[in-house]
Amino acid sequence: MMDEPAAALENATPQRIVKVETGDEWQRLSLIAIVYFTVRNIMGMAQGLIYLIPAMAVTFNILDNLQSPKTYAAIAGVLLLTSLSGVVSFFMYKFRVYNQHVEIHNGVFQRRYTNLPLWRIQNVKIELPFYYRPFGYALVVLDTAGSGKEEAKIVAVPLSYAHALKKRVLFEKENHNANEQSTDPNCKVNTGSKDALASVDTVKHAETTSPQDEDANEEVLNRRSIGDIVIHGVTNNRVWIILGAAAPFYDDVFGFISEWLAEKGLQLNQIVGEQTIAWWQFGLYAFVVLMMIMAAMALLSVGGALFTFYGYTLSRSNDRYIRKSGLLNKLEVSMRASRIQMITAKQDWLDKLLKRVNLYFEQNSTAGQQIQELMSPNKLIVPSVTEAESVALSREVFPHCNFQQQTYKNISKRFILFWLAAALVAPFLLAFVVGALTAHLDIMLISATGFCFISLVLVLRWWRWGIAFDSRYIYVRRGRIGVDYLCFEPYKVQQVMIKQSVFMKRKKLATIKFVLASGAVTVPFLPEEYVNTLADSVLHEVESTRKSWM
Amino acid sequence: MHNEMISEGSARVFSNKHIQTSELPRLQELALTPISRRYRIINLSAISAIALVLLSIVTALRFQPLFELPEDLVFAYPYICSVIFGLAFLWATYHFFADTKITYAVREQDVSKQSGLIFRKLSCQPILRVQHVELNRGPLERWAGLASLQVFSAGGEMYTFEIPGLELEKAQKIRQFILDHKDVSAR
Repeated sequence: MMDEPAAALENATPQRIVKVETGDEWQRLSLIAIVYFTVRNIMGMAQGLIYLIPAMAVTFNILDNLQSPKTYAAIAGVLLLTSLSGVVSFFMYKFRVYNQHVEIHNGVFQRRYTNLPLWRIQNVKIELPFYYRPFGYALVVLDTAGSGKEEAKIVAVPLSYAHALKKRVLFEKENHNANEQSTDPNCKVNTGSKDALASVDTVKHAETTSPQDEDANEEVLNRRSIGDIVIHGVTNNRVWIILGAAAPFYDDVFGFISEWLAEKGLQLNQIVGEQTIAWWQFGLYAFVVLMMIMAAMALLSVGGALFTFYGYTLSRSNDRYIRKSGLLNKLEVSMRASRIQMITAKQDWLDKLLKRVNLYFEQNSTAGQQIQELMSPNKLIVPSVTEAESVALSREVFPHCNFQQQTYKNISKRFILFWLAAALVAPFLLAFVVGALTAHLDIMLISATGFCFISLVLVLRWWRWGIAFDSRYIYVRRGRIGVDYLCFEPYKVQQVMIKQSVFMKRKKLATIKFVLASGAVTVPFLPEEYVNTLADSVLHEVESTRKSWM
Repeated sequence: MHNEMISEGSARVFSNKHIQTSELPRLQELALTPISRRYRIINLSAISAIALVLLSIVTALRFQPLFELPEDLVFAYPYICSVIFGLAFLWATYHFFADTKITYAVREQDVSKQSGLIFRKLSCQPILRVQHVELNRGPLERWAGLASLQVFSAGGEMYTFEIPGLELEKAQKIRQFILDHKDVSAR
């Protein structure tokens, strides 16, 4: 039952000589994989069971025998079955890395055979579930077309083997690309297929390095300390990371809290319903409760941030950026520099106070497939860096780019007028008139303040929104209270759009929209002449340089 | 990306002259051609057909002898009919005016389309960034001998560049032009 890669490893103790090829013999995973399969199956079953809960609750109520031995037997049976299924999954899984192909046989009822040429693999992720870590195992996720569906997982291999495999894949890919370019520069590939996309990859470094000395090339660009991550948790709402995980227990928690309150002689409806206390007392209570909730949220958010970003490092190895982080599950995401479409520096109002910036490197996003933002391989986030670090990091990716020192072309004030006239005046005015007619002062007040608030937001939005072009990069500044800076290279644009309404034409204004592989960027209400010139120069940049966007 | 420059460098003489912005090819000077007039006819007939079908369903329900309708519904019948008619009329009016505004242009390096009645939108798709091209022909379009050209880029589904209501022959020509373009076929 001893797994071969592991054995090969232990015999050849030094880390450098980890054999990636396993030969034509099929390999079993390490035994720890049983845990993985079991956990996965239990999770899968739990997800399925969520829909059954109402039905089960009803049956339990009818039978009313929650405490009976039958129930325990059923639960035990289910648990036993799932853990057995883990063992079965383990035995039904085999893989080999042979002849530059990764081959995997898996599936219990539905057998699947995956064959992946090493050079076709787009992305290698190494995940470390917490139960793997003490034993030094890893889960290798091989991503082919950039879509989540076409992943292949090698479930449990020694960590060093995982790293060796990763290096090998990157090496093969570069080699393959370099060969393709040098021997057959005009090779015709079917333009319709996704493979065509995959093979257009340009290689930045013509001279490829051997896979062994790549580790030495890995240069750490940024680390985030626990303090930084705590700041990130405070300034950004990462509550959902924990709230999402705790969702099944909500009812219990609320039940528990209300019971606890009742025990203390506090009953909410009593306080609100009867005029036993003065209004200011009630207000104070409400304020204190609100503050407590806010504090709890902030704590949860810090927890969530620590959970995902603990031990964060951003490093560079050749033309790749690699992000590693995670408290329980270590996650690694790597992204090629040439693939980065846009840099976004986001600064919320709290970030502004603390002078911190969230930096995102955005890759092409497969539309319609929304993956969790923080885990997504399409967006590489560097959480809560200082302003100086953000400048340094963005220059590392886009040399000489400079967000702050651009003179931004502001959008026209008509932007505010347009939104007020087009969409926002009518409902507020209606509410105000209704209030006036029915002599309800509160309705009038609410609609008036609402209107003022919306106008204020619009003014802020107008004030922030601007664009700059320094012949190398296009910069967009936007935001309301916080500021976001976007920066992209014009030659990576996929499509340019100019929009103009009849009224805008009269005032010689136009809206410009750039479609990038990572999403669209819009800047509205700019002078018509400016928009036209900008569109023309961007198109010229795309069409004359003929550089690849990937 | 530098490699391309290097590999192509030997083939063509490298030049990097400074270009005045006034000398750039201008989108404003595009020679825009209108799409086929039949596209509007198709749209108008499709709208009338839908409205007619809805009206006849409502009318059939109203006057069928099989079961009694509630009072309220009988009362609402003329209103329902006029709402259907009104919406169809608005929709048709929009198409009547907007469809003639759809124009397109093909340059050496890109395809453009302009459309919109109140909001005029001009989108320009560089052929270099095209991933694949499709001709779409629904039953009505087939009947009228038209096709819509869809051009896909890495910008994603939402930003698929589409020129509707092209005569089939023209659509095929543009498609072929895009496919033969050296930037697309070279990959």
